[in-house]
Amino acid sequence: MTEQITIGLARMHYEFGERRDFLPNFVAMLGKLDAKVMLEYGYGSGMRYTEEDYLNHDQKITFVSHEEVFKQDYVLVLRCPSENDLRLLKPGACIISMMHYATRPNRVALLRSLEVESISLDSIKDDVGRRLVENLRSVAWNGLEVGFSVLLRTYPSPGVESPNRDPIQVTVMGVGAVGMHAVQAASHYGDMSLWNTLAKRGVPGNQVTALEYDLTCNKAVMKDILTRSDILVDATQRPDASQAVIPNDWIAWMPEHAVLVDLSVDPYDCSVDNREVKGIEGIPQGNLDQYVFAPDDPAFELIPDCVSTVNRRYSVSCYSWPGIHPKEYMDLYGKQIGPLVRTILRKGTPANINAKGKFFERALSRAMLSNYEAT
Amino acid sequence: MNIPKTIGLPRMRNEAGEKRVFLPEFVQFIASLGVNVFIEEGYGSRSGYSFEDYKLATPLIHLASKEKAYQQDVVLILRSPKPDEFKLMRPGGILFSMLHFPTRPLRIKRLLEAKILGISMDSITNDVNIRLMENMKSVAWNGLEAGFNVLEKRWPGLVKPDKKPIQALILGTGMVGKYAIDAATKLGNIERNNDHIEAGGPGAIAFSVGRNLSSNPTTMESLFQEADILVDATQRRDASQPVVPNEWIAWLPEHAVVVDLAVDPYTLSVDPPVVRGVEGIPQGNLDQYIFPADDPNWDKTVPPSVNSKNRRTAVTCYSWPGVHPEACMLHYAHQLEPFVEVLFEKGYDGLSLDGEYFERALYRATLKCYLDEQKSVV
Repeated sequence: MTEQITIGLARMHYEFGERRDFLPNFVAMLGKLDAKVMLEYGYGSGMRYTEEDYLNHDQKITFVSHEEVFKQDYVLVLRCPSENDLRLLKPGACIISMMHYATRPNRVALLRSLEVESISLDSIKDDVGRRLVENLRSVAWNGLEVGFSVLLRTYPSPGVESPNRDPIQVTVMGVGAVGMHAVQAASHYGDMSLWNTLAKRGVPGNQVTALEYDLTCNKAVMKDILTRSDILVDATQRPDASQAVIPNDWIAWMPEHAVLVDLSVDPYDCSVDNREVKGIEGIPQGNLDQYVFAPDDPAFELIPDCVSTVNRRYSVSCYSWPGIHPKEYMDLYGKQIGPLVRTILRKGTPANINAKGKFFERALSRAMLSNYEAT
Repeated sequence: MNIPKTIGLPRMRNEAGEKRVFLPEFVQFIASLGVNVFIEEGYGSRSGYSFEDYKLATPLIHLASKEKAYQQDVVLILRSPKPDEFKLMRPGGILFSMLHFPTRPLRIKRLLEAKILGISMDSITNDVNIRLMENMKSVAWNGLEAGFNVLEKRWPGLVKPDKKPIQALILGTGMVGKYAIDAATKLGNIERNNDHIEAGGPGAIAFSVGRNLSSNPTTMESLFQEADILVDATQRRDASQPVVPNEWIAWLPEHAVVVDLAVDPYTLSVDPPVVRGVEGIPQGNLDQYIFPADDPNWDKTVPPSVNSKNRRTAVTCYSWPGVHPEACMLHYAHQLEPFVEVLFEKGYDGLSLDGEYFERALYRATLKCYLDEQKSVV
């Protein structure tokens, strides 16, 4: 590492709708730690931040090319860069990103071959195994917010906002970390202000039915539940991703106005050795460019042939639900990542991070590639 | 700046079933900070720990009388000491405990009178107002475990005569409510749930209802009629009104179990009075937390003026995490470690919102911060 630690913050070049970058106050915090901070040209522009906005917080920040960002001692970027970008890293550098070691063996092998250290944001955990960098709440709330915004249009007379309607029936499949937030979000229309407005007007609320994965295979129970569900939420974490939780046939049981909310973001893969299907069979995979799909949306035609799409309802799906409200999202991540990056920079090099050190050191140590052993 | 150098760990003198104490490993950790630790005689004995288990040849760990334990720079105790025990502390001493400032005005008054510097564990929050010292998961899981235990005695393997899934109706969608849903769908116990799945059991469904529905008697009647377990995980805005009036209990099947996770007391002496979320159920503790409908102790904690005519088996406990004391204290120790470090590095007066992550969080839990916030609200 050079004398003054350098840290590069890269933009995320994925779908057009990807707008997230760390906010100016977070970047300024890095500068205060005596690190030389380099931002990629255009950093923050997706959220309408200009170079001046960053420089107003810290005049020492410099703007450099994409390639130059990847040549720094540390590179911080939320979503893991492409393989080509990772190859730009210099030996001994450290990439801080969502690396997902357990499901990305090729990435792990590549980084090791490049002699690069990494700290995986999704692996930073406290002493009892809780993630310190996560936004599962936004996954649930943003997904349900969009789901209810669609239901407002599809729900039959007298409408969602009528005091004379029955309680909205929401079924949440999966009650893990995302599912628990989904139940809370579903009770509140995914939008506290809407909930407050409707509650004040005496509009009946929402009844949420939560099911664990093991019950979803009970066809008779599921038929009864699906027949009366206005919104169906997939928040499952399936042990076997080759089987759908809701086969496409079952969607036919649901009311025409029903909305399917996909929070699990599993992909489709029809290859024989690695078959994967979404939890709700036959709904499109959305992203930040498009996350609402009407039953006649052309996106249904792009779903692989091995997947049945005969039965359709309005579907909402997004690879990155937190990204639909980027400023709130990056504000939270800045707060979560701040003390961690502070610890990293104070330590100088990743090698100085002590697995038996203080709280944040211990947490970081668990996320380092050099400490990762595939199981 | 006064930096504390000693800490006292007095025993909790609550019900006999209260077995929670900080574990030897955590006490060793405190001593590793160079702090002299004074442990009250008999500390941990209800859980089978001796002083030697704590000391482990560490010269900084000492056996002390109750009075001496309370006279140290910092007093660490999970549940708040009783009013007369406050008097044992010296002025300027730091009391680090679950002090519940917002709902305990009398306690605040006593702290101020005795010049005790309070730090409330339940008020330690991070920059986005998330509690960093909590065990709500255990509140929900331990309560639901007890509730399903009752049902399992009636229905071995938790298989109902009609073979349908068990239905849990959960009132409240806050943090405890969320964990309650998780626990209810897993029969309150992971191992039991795994066995149940293996045996092809019908499982459980959780119905979650927020306050915009729980006030609707028509909807609630139909939900109550189907409920095998009713869970109160509400946080009421108006504690003078129950969420479930006693008449509604009659809608529940005879076999139904009421699981109380809200643990509000009956306090009729204040104006307006505080009543329990489910009207007419008793208030349990670690000595007794299961009350069949005909339990002779039912009326001991229910004031005569409260309607308790309709009854179902109730499981209720003032401190659900204490049902599994070691797991609870291990959990708290993990959460407490960084705050103990900060406290002995900065002292009470040295804490500031301009400090680092844990310092800011600990500062928010001080009595002075709480009082300052109250002033700014006024």
